[in-house]
Amino acid sequence: MVDWRLYEPLINFARKRSMWIVAFCTGCGGIEMPPLATSRYDFERFGIMPNPAPRMADLFLITGYVTPKTLKRIIITYEMQPDPKYVLAHGSCPLNGGVYWDGYNAIKHLDKYLPIDVAIAGCMPRPEAVMDGIQKMMELIETGKADGWKRYKENYEYYKKNQDELFGEGWREKTARRWIPWLMDKKKEVREE
Amino acid sequence: MTLEKEENVVRQILEKAPYAEGKVRRARRIEFHIPAERIREFLTLLKESNFETMMQITAVDWIKDGEIELVYQMWSYTHAVHAFVKTRIPREVEKAKVPSVKDIYPVAETYERDAHEFYKVYFEGNEKLEMPWILEDEDREAGVCHRKDFDMLSYVKRKYKILDRFEEDKEDYVI
Repeated sequence: MVDWRLYEPLINFARKRSMWIVAFCTGCGGIEMPPLATSRYDFERFGIMPNPAPRMADLFLITGYVTPKTLKRIIITYEMQPDPKYVLAHGSCPLNGGVYWDGYNAIKHLDKYLPIDVAIAGCMPRPEAVMDGIQKMMELIETGKADGWKRYKENYEYYKKNQDELFGEGWREKTARRWIPWLMDKKKEVREE
Repeated sequence: MTLEKEENVVRQILEKAPYAEGKVRRARRIEFHIPAERIREFLTLLKESNFETMMQITAVDWIKDGEIELVYQMWSYTHAVHAFVKTRIPREVEKAKVPSVKDIYPVAETYERDAHEFYKVYFEGNEKLEMPWILEDEDREAGVCHRKDFDMLSYVKRKYKILDRFEEDKEDYVI
């Protein structure tokens, strides 16, 4: 019988050097991704790759403000990711609302709804700042301190309570069914122009 | 710079629509004021006068006058002129009604949904007004709109439970 805890440092090293990102740009910070991915800052040298499927991703970049509408999708996508998963909040808006502090349509504290591992301040953070955040994230992964996914499991009642307070009970089903009556009617209709 | 082209366009339209008032604002901008019940008639006339595109329907809340101003923004590729068609309707939710123009300009269907969601203007004849649009259901049920008498800040405080971060008696909020 092998004690896999012996291999934990090796596994953590491998995790640190192969972070895949969910290709889900939630806000205005998505515009910082092209310079990061292309030749100037080139995050592929750290083994980071944008990935279309959340089922294969480790790192979730929350790029910019989060509206309640996006937050529903973020939570669903986050729960689809396999463990271990890491969240990097990007910019001032996920921290305290930023310039949208009085807007009805922006989340003020993201860490009430999802656990955050690394947060970068700034509006917008430059790609250097994001690289710095990613290096911090790699450091935390190697030392085993990036434990947001464990915190999400342990404190699920807390996060669930906050999510339900914001969206109302049963928001997943409600969101999924929201368009059904309109789509059913639309099939019969032929638009004449 | 001469405004001859714009004045010609305004004159031709006003000849056919004596109920409207029109003027030239500057180069490439003209403006019409019409009563709300004749909006369909007037926009049909504009479409015949080579105003091919509707660019936007804007609503302005004039809370002191008790009126909502709808601005239909029309663009003509032929004349290269942007026309503002302004009309005023009462501000009360039951009376804020105007006929839909979606059969004249099909794109108006979307803009009317927008004006209905954020200014509660009812467009008679547009059956998609209640379709989900930008607002979430819980916001819509709470009555969120951009009318000036809606107290947005207190709604935000209630929704996100951030009451402790602001002092009620301050005019300017400091975070």
